[in-house]
Amino acid sequence: MRGVKRIIDPGLEELSATLNKMGELAYYAVSTTLRECVEDWSAYSKIREISDALILMADYVEDKVFELIVRFQPVASDLRTIKSYMKIAYDFARFGRYALDMSYTSQKFHGVRNCEAWITSYIKEMGEKTLNMVRLSIDFLRDRNPQLAEKIVQIEEEIDKMYFDFLDELARRSDTTIRCAVSSVLIVRYLERIADHATYVYKSIIYITTGQRLF
Amino acid sequence: MIAPKIKVENLNAWFGTKQVLKNINMEIKEKAVTAIIGPSGCGKTTFLRCLNRMHEITPGARVSGKVIFNGINIYDKSVDPVMIRKKIGMVFQKPNPFPMMSIYDNVAIGLKLNGVRDKKTLDAVVRRSLELANLWDEVKDDLNRSGVSLSGGQQQRLCIARALAVEPEVLLMDEPCSALDPIATAKIEALIRKLAENYTVVIVTHNIQQAARISDYTAFFYLGELIEYGSTKQIFENPKHELTRKYLTGEFG
Repeated sequence: MRGVKRIIDPGLEELSATLNKMGELAYYAVSTTLRECVEDWSAYSKIREISDALILMADYVEDKVFELIVRFQPVASDLRTIKSYMKIAYDFARFGRYALDMSYTSQKFHGVRNCEAWITSYIKEMGEKTLNMVRLSIDFLRDRNPQLAEKIVQIEEEIDKMYFDFLDELARRSDTTIRCAVSSVLIVRYLERIADHATYVYKSIIYITTGQRLF
Repeated sequence: MIAPKIKVENLNAWFGTKQVLKNINMEIKEKAVTAIIGPSGCGKTTFLRCLNRMHEITPGARVSGKVIFNGINIYDKSVDPVMIRKKIGMVFQKPNPFPMMSIYDNVAIGLKLNGVRDKKTLDAVVRRSLELANLWDEVKDDLNRSGVSLSGGQQQRLCIARALAVEPEVLLMDEPCSALDPIATAKIEALIRKLAENYTVVIVTHNIQQAARISDYTAFFYLGELIEYGSTKQIFENPKHELTRKYLTGEFG
């Protein structure tokens, strides 16, 4: 069989291509909404469109996975791959959904653009780290480069810490407006969730390649 | 942990000068289904035939090593191979009821050859064996019909009933469904699962999905060697050996 495509391969390739497309769309949505949080402009309708498209694509991946199971009864690395592809599609759809939630927060509460400087710069920094994680998860899916995996784990820990530190700092200060407090807390929460889903993507890829389940 | 029913130690087998099994070590668990898979010529059928001393029937064939069944090495000189084949029965790829015999006699033949003549005993064993093989309801009204008048799937269940009649502890099955249609296959598969409640079943199959469906443990053979052996879930979800993975995913075979 060496050199000959297996009959399941076109299906796996199609899923892989769809996931790559989803990853890039999700990255665009998160990077766009991060600008919205700190700058005076709105991309809400565009992000809504992307988020909806990501959900449809995740549904498509799920349908395709079921088709491959029914038709080819995949096992071993094939089975782990398609199971993980379904999960990753969901993770990418979540990126889009959180981007939409952040965009809504920016529209409703003006993001953090009128907040104290420390909040704006804190969210900018956390946003850059989160966006980096999104990028790393997409690249790791494509390249399976172990160095990327190490970076994902390290940044995830940093983001978790930033999330809790932010809540502590906000609770300590009494000069923040309610609008800024609501907006910033929601945004750091969404960023922390996005980072978590980037970590799930990383764990799914480790499962595909090694069979090891990380918790 | 399920206790081993059969313990295979350093088993080697030859056809003439050609070695077809190489130093196999394996514990077959009691009251479980163990599937033997691997590409054609990997030694899986030979392995099965070594488990009840059928390999040695072939001219020029020989075996070394031990197959320990209930604490006894079946290759010890003092062991009667006929007795072993009663305790470790075999079901073949192609259903092979005795063509000149009725359904009843096909099942009763083993006992009759062992000198059982009592009609009541024979009736009871025939009924029990056919019930165990999920065939009784389909044939009970005409047990005097010829065994070969049955459908392929029914014939295979008749052969299973025949093997069960002599009260074996282990059933060896060599691709028992490969000559059957999907419905007959499904019935045999369901029967195998039911039998595993009371018997130890070892099945050779080319159909890896069948192995995944019905077995508790799976052994992968390649070029006469046991490459990997583990729970069916582990083998099919996360094989440790690259050769197993390649075989299962169809990268070779």
